[in-house]
Amino acid sequence: MTESVRTKPKPGLWAGLFTANMGVIAALFATGAVEPPVPYILFALNFALLLPLIKASRQVYEDRGAVTRAMRDYNRRFLTASAVYSVGMIGAASIANRIAEASPLLWALAIAPMLPAFAMIWAMMRYLREESDEYQRYKAVRASMVGLGFVLVLGTGWGFLETFGLVPHIWAWWVFPAWAIGLALGMALPESGGEAA
Amino acid sequence: MNNRLRVLRAERRWSQQDLADRLDVSRQSVNAIETGKYDPSLPLAFKIADVFELAIEEIFLRDVAEAAAE
Repeated sequence: MTESVRTKPKPGLWAGLFTANMGVIAALFATGAVEPPVPYILFALNFALLLPLIKASRQVYEDRGAVTRAMRDYNRRFLTASAVYSVGMIGAASIANRIAEASPLLWALAIAPMLPAFAMIWAMMRYLREESDEYQRYKAVRASMVGLGFVLVLGTGWGFLETFGLVPHIWAWWVFPAWAIGLALGMALPESGGEAA
Repeated sequence: MNNRLRVLRAERRWSQQDLADRLDVSRQSVNAIETGKYDPSLPLAFKIADVFELAIEEIFLRDVAEAAAE
């Protein structure tokens, strides 16, 4: 067996790339450079960057001795749900324009993303129930509060900016990715001093 | 809250991971408790006391300001 050289995981790099891409796609869309459904597809494709991000973050947490069994289960469930969400989003965006307006199928297609979204929240609820490590549970609760605050503050702010005609309209489905970004920020928040074993 | 976890661990030559395994928590949690970033719940404090075979007040110490106020 050859010893593989392990590079230092860089979740920040992937997170930055993901955020920057989102910004570029939003800018392209806002300026009318790309027409729907292209931006939706680009958004969905950008979610592929979350895979190396998650892998790198997991490595950081493993190195920090912060991974519990409940967390591994949670990651598996959450990733499965977000994979379904991404695939569903790409699929829906690419066929939506070929479906008759206001048809039952279009309704079903539009409502479908609620299922994986529900599954992600369910995975979180289940994690909080299964996590026996109280400090990790406390951190997860705090991170979800940060995510919630992020979405509420951002949403309120954007809503008023929109009311006064200062920014373009954006759809409400951005709440989930925004919440997930807030959650990730919340997880990264804890002070990590005194790491000595 | 102050505690003597680091000293007690050193006396037994346990790493943070050793203590974490005995308590069935993550190493990061042991570190957070040890450095005073997180105060454990009463059940976990009792578990820690059991692992060290000591009383809770022999491990966790009241803040000096709190103690002085009494």
